[in-house]
Amino acid sequence: MRRSAAGIGVVVLALGAAAPAAGQWLTVDARRVGMGGLTLGRSGNAARYNAAYRAVPARGDRRGAPKVTIPVPLGLIQFFHDHPLSRLGNDPTFNPDSAGFNPIVIVNTLLTPPLYYEVKRAPTPTNDVVFGIGKDSLRVNLGQAATLVPQDQFGVGGSARVFDPGIGLRGVRVSVLGWLHDDVGFQLGDTLLAFLRDSQPAQHRTFYSVDVHGLVAAGVAPTLGYAGRVWGDTARGLYVGGAVHYYLGVSYYRTDGTAGFRTGDTIFAGPNPVTPEGRTLTQYSRPGNTPGHGVGGDVGLAWVSGPVEVGIGVNDIGATITWPDTRQDSAFYRDSSYSRPVADHVRTTTKLPVSYLANVAYTVGRTTLGADVLNTGRGVTVHVGGEQRLGLLALRGGVARDQRKRLEFGWGGGLRLGAVGLDVGFWTHTNSLSNARGITMATSLAIY
Amino acid sequence: MRRMWLGMAWLASVAAGCGTGRAIFDVDVYSFLKGTGQDTVPYFIPPNTPNLVVGSVPQRISLPGAGSSIVDSVAVFGTVDLVNRTGTGTVGLQLFLAADSAGTYTPSAAALTLSPRTVTPNTTVVDTVAGALLSSADSLFRRTALWARVAAQGSNADLVTPVQGTLVLTSLRLTVVISDKIF
Repeated sequence: MRRSAAGIGVVVLALGAAAPAAGQWLTVDARRVGMGGLTLGRSGNAARYNAAYRAVPARGDRRGAPKVTIPVPLGLIQFFHDHPLSRLGNDPTFNPDSAGFNPIVIVNTLLTPPLYYEVKRAPTPTNDVVFGIGKDSLRVNLGQAATLVPQDQFGVGGSARVFDPGIGLRGVRVSVLGWLHDDVGFQLGDTLLAFLRDSQPAQHRTFYSVDVHGLVAAGVAPTLGYAGRVWGDTARGLYVGGAVHYYLGVSYYRTDGTAGFRTGDTIFAGPNPVTPEGRTLTQYSRPGNTPGHGVGGDVGLAWVSGPVEVGIGVNDIGATITWPDTRQDSAFYRDSSYSRPVADHVRTTTKLPVSYLANVAYTVGRTTLGADVLNTGRGVTVHVGGEQRLGLLALRGGVARDQRKRLEFGWGGGLRLGAVGLDVGFWTHTNSLSNARGITMATSLAIY
Repeated sequence: MRRMWLGMAWLASVAAGCGTGRAIFDVDVYSFLKGTGQDTVPYFIPPNTPNLVVGSVPQRISLPGAGSSIVDSVAVFGTVDLVNRTGTGTVGLQLFLAADSAGTYTPSAAALTLSPRTVTPNTTVVDTVAGALLSSADSLFRRTALWARVAAQGSNADLVTPVQGTLVLTSLRLTVVISDKIF
């Protein structure tokens, strides 16, 4: 049980520290990196989040977008140089018995694969943490790190469309969408928040807890969509798109609970000073049960007028999925665990997060400028960037505001030789406790 | 359970820290001894005794457990009253630390030895406990618990009158500095 409670601590706080970073854009396209994360063209976010873009002509040549991008993940070479595969089992970073064991590095590595080459490491801030320990007292002062203890719910999640095969005719498209919805969230209880963030001393007979929420659901969605130009011509036109999805849920699993520990009459004395405690309500519908069902839709609008292109798209509107054959179990732990079924064959619902993208692009001559605002259900990211092509060369720059509301900068360039190009992009990143920036580099090959 | 409690706070610090730094544990050892009788050591030093050590019963002290981290230093600060009733001699405090209770009775477990102070009949000498523990004791603070024993070390050069009194610990704090290599 000690391990489980410690595990909760690691997961909660590691994700608290790492999730915002993971929430930043992650791409292997050096061109996009060089423009601060901005996507131009049809292969990026525009086509995913704006149903109208299926009808907008690609015009890839005019915006300098390649047909195919092949990542060159130099960061992996650096990573495996620092952590040789042959000695990974004994690597101090990944060996729990080592003084160098670092769970945060592991979480960060999983959430943000080391694809980029680290040109300049962000300075690691110094922070002392002070614990006051007595027989009947415990107080912790995390120093600057206290500001990182999340006050609101935090976690990772979103929805993905894993496949979308279909056939189309005159703008109408019939397809079958594979969808996946995952959401993991944590919320520190008031007492634990006060203890960690406000350096409040531990209290007697008090429950220190974390609310835990986890959901994963998957299924398919027969889809009927339309995208077309409703006004104008290819040089100047208004495009609309929309799709109606009938979501069929194959399976889902959801748990909502609270885990923590309760203090006794004295903090470090007495027969049972701390008692671990937890309770959860688990709801699930297995494959083979009556499938979940629901209806939702996407809408999109794009306006192309000469050098200007503006779009807005919203996905999964009203996508509430009803699961008619759900089983519910409750579990409780205090000293030992208890579990009992609550109900079976009951009706429950889940809701896919609404995501949206607004974008604008302006192309004049060999210069392209653009901006986009993207929300995938876990906060807003903003990207502004541009590209200037000079013969065989291209120069790029951009700025992004991430989900932590921090500004990061990107710049880079490219060399195009016929149908093949090499792109290099740099972008800045910061540690949680410092504004000093590090720089990473992405490289990719482009096929035009 | 204690480890879990402290472990949560420890993990909070390392997870949220994300930076290099130190973990500093300010342990109020006296709070663990107070009320148990282990904060008081009656002493009786017979005449013509060059050195005598009398101690209390070992007391368990809870710690967070620093695992394989490196303990930089352990500083100690406290106060002690030497309440002497009879005789003239010297009395000083010794602090024994060990991984188990039996270990506190070995001489090498003396992590701190104060210079003895001269005591006289019916007087109370207030002494200050300050300094760094012997580095040999540092590794004990990586554990989740250690055992402490307070002792009075004294001498009596008088050939007739015994030195008798009580060593009363009134405060004792340890400041443990741990290098946080994790971040």
